[in-house]
Amino acid sequence: MRNGAEILKLGTLTLVWWCIIFGAVWAACYIVGILIPMALSSYESDAARMTAETCRALTPILSVLVFIPINAMFMVLFERRGLAIFTVRLGPNRVGPDGYLQTAADAVKLLFKEDITPRGADAFMFTLAPIVFFAPSIFGAMPLLAAVTNYHELFQIVNLPTGIFFILAASSVPVVGIVMGGWASNNKYSLVGGLRSAAQAISYEIPLVLSLVTVCLMAGTLDVVQIAKQQAGGILNWNIFGGGALRGLDTALALKFSNQPPALQELSQKSFDQVLKSSYVEPTMQAIGLGAGQEGLAGIIAAFAVVILIGSILIAYGLYMTGACAEINRIPFDLPEAESELVSGYNTEYSGIKFAIFFLAEFTNLFIVASIAAVMFLGGGDCPVPAWLGTMLGGPVIESMINQALTPLIQIKLVDPPTLFAAIWVILKVYGIVFFAVLIRGTLPRFRIDQLMDFGWKRLIPLSLIVFVLVVFAREFVNVHVGS
Amino acid sequence: MATDTEVDLTPRLKTDEMLINMGPQHPATHGVLRLILTLDGEIVRHTEPILGHLHRAQEWQGQNRTWFQYQALIDRVDYLSGMFTSWAMARACEVVDGCEVPERAEWLRVMVSEMNRITSHLLWLGTYLIDLGAMFGFPFYPFREREKLLELFEEIAGQRMMFNYIRIGGVMRNPKDAWLSKLKRFTEEFPDRVDEYEAIVTENPIFLKRTKGVGILRKELGMDYGITGPSIRASGVNIDLRRTKPYSVYPKLKFDVPVNDRDGDTFDRYIFRIREMRESNEIIKQCLDMLPQGEISGKKQIAGLRVKAGEGFAAVESPRGTLGCYIISNGSDRAYRIKWRNPSFCNLSILPELLKNHPIADVMAIFGSIDVILPDVDR
Repeated sequence: MRNGAEILKLGTLTLVWWCIIFGAVWAACYIVGILIPMALSSYESDAARMTAETCRALTPILSVLVFIPINAMFMVLFERRGLAIFTVRLGPNRVGPDGYLQTAADAVKLLFKEDITPRGADAFMFTLAPIVFFAPSIFGAMPLLAAVTNYHELFQIVNLPTGIFFILAASSVPVVGIVMGGWASNNKYSLVGGLRSAAQAISYEIPLVLSLVTVCLMAGTLDVVQIAKQQAGGILNWNIFGGGALRGLDTALALKFSNQPPALQELSQKSFDQVLKSSYVEPTMQAIGLGAGQEGLAGIIAAFAVVILIGSILIAYGLYMTGACAEINRIPFDLPEAESELVSGYNTEYSGIKFAIFFLAEFTNLFIVASIAAVMFLGGGDCPVPAWLGTMLGGPVIESMINQALTPLIQIKLVDPPTLFAAIWVILKVYGIVFFAVLIRGTLPRFRIDQLMDFGWKRLIPLSLIVFVLVVFAREFVNVHVGS
Repeated sequence: MATDTEVDLTPRLKTDEMLINMGPQHPATHGVLRLILTLDGEIVRHTEPILGHLHRAQEWQGQNRTWFQYQALIDRVDYLSGMFTSWAMARACEVVDGCEVPERAEWLRVMVSEMNRITSHLLWLGTYLIDLGAMFGFPFYPFREREKLLELFEEIAGQRMMFNYIRIGGVMRNPKDAWLSKLKRFTEEFPDRVDEYEAIVTENPIFLKRTKGVGILRKELGMDYGITGPSIRASGVNIDLRRTKPYSVYPKLKFDVPVNDRDGDTFDRYIFRIREMRESNEIIKQCLDMLPQGEISGKKQIAGLRVKAGEGFAAVESPRGTLGCYIISNGSDRAYRIKWRNPSFCNLSILPELLKNHPIADVMAIFGSIDVILPDVDR
């Protein structure tokens, strides 16, 4: 490992910034959502009660408003340092201790830069564009908050029965901002960038949405909290592995490794008998739990359905990630701001705070698509270790120890262990995906616009439709979450 | 027979061609080239390159500076392959002057210029990937190896880019043994590094999509325009001065000149540069083995250095093609007239032909692939 030291530094930096981000966000939420209402509860007037309610209701919005700028600042730094490792460089390491404050300094610089509106530009639209681009990332992410905090009481208010629908609707608004910005800039490069962005977003939204619809179909609900909760119980239960289709395997493994010898004997005895009296395929699959508890022909069909289902969902996940990359204009789909062709695309003419908002929104969008992937495919706030393995490794003991140690804090509601663990897992998953995006950025060149369209319409959309249909049929033969 | 069911397929919407100005301050024009593109939608119909933003009157300056001063200046003509510009002028002067160049100096010249060819191609490789939109990842890897070579240059010439190492009549400085062994180590590990680049780039589907079949340069067209260097060899013309008009000690060296068997596209131009780097590496290895002992300069390197009266032309094979220098000397300490034949200038002239009917996204992919250095164009 030639860059061992740098990787270590990146790890430390990430941990420190995570502490800063979550410290700040939770402090804000705690003060507004819990402390103030608690203080007000001693007054028995309507005004006090109303204020307390308002405070509680505003907590999710406040948390997002605190979270987005700090998080985007960290993500920029994370990306720069990560890319530096991939590209045999050091990255920013001068501002603050080891470069920790680089993006803070950049943000300050951008705030104080002159805000220029080019001559001939439509000033109103020019100003409106970054707002339209940024605003959806604030309100669009709201339903996710409920899912990633394990339905904490403060965030229940933002949950919607049609959560994922709302998120997708919100996430298609920013492209309007890009087109507005491109058109209002009075610059040919900006215009081309804006129009490309519109074409790209329309083309890639279809596979993106279809892949998420596939998940919703499996889950039987549009509610992100429900979808996240269904996947509880370890990596084999996540939607990316068929959303409960592997429960048989999970159970079999649990039997094998937990201290339940009779059940284990029964299972192996059963499969041994079946080896003797029926085909070879079926019992093998039964033994590894693919048959989902069904015997005979039904078992074989169920086993194949499970394989098809998992394959389809894995493809759907790939489709989602591809579509998401295109949706948020990241390499290899960063055509709207293709530097070697269009200078900087739609944001060529922007400077100062308006540019900062575009920049902020881009990284926030990356975070949001990664969070959607984490919730829809990767189990939300669920621990990846299967429950039986967790028990074996002493998970409950550790958990109770933590609970005990934090008892005073839990009593004043400063810490809520389920929420805390969910948040930690979500952030690990999300930053795993972000890291993957950085890796891709460090590897791939850019598509050409016609190739991009070909790829979208001729490959991804048919593929997503096929996946959708396969899941519709495969689901009939497999007990996924909803059947349980 | 016209019937009333016939549909008029001509577009009703009036469309217009759009003029778009690319450069001289566009982030991807490699310096200061200005292109006026006539676009039909995103398709380039006509290109007008506008040159001269970097004109520094290099030829005129040659008449107003002594030979000794001018030697230090001409590295700037093609700043990525300074060894070759120095060498072209040194050879032209030697042709006119008739002075002997010591054997060791010739070997050293070949060695450093092949090193320079590698650095030039490495830089091209990195920036070309940027032209294709791989903004952050890959481009830094070639620079890692280039850095090593630049350090070697710094050690031997005192400069990383403007070497002024090859002088009229010989070379400037004798390399130390440590330098030679460092170079040897580099040549041993370099092929692995090239494999590394190829592993990332050559098989990359997006890269192949962007380059295969794009900007095809027909052999005849290229010859008409006087294209030289790897760009034309990738289109199947076997012209390499090191072979076709051997100079210096090249006849004693074993190396391949990769030549394509069909009209080359941008991918061919990429892959032939990669192969050339491998060949240059082989040449350096041989030079290291065969380097003789002896003098390094046949002419005294003094400020009042003079070249005998007469006129002459000499050319070398630079990383971009045939780099020629024509001088007229009247026997004084400065040139009477100097004329350069710059490969970048001739290679750039093909650009409007290559860009025709390609989308705007390919402009930089094609322009990058012919490897033009703007100071070399404008002089």
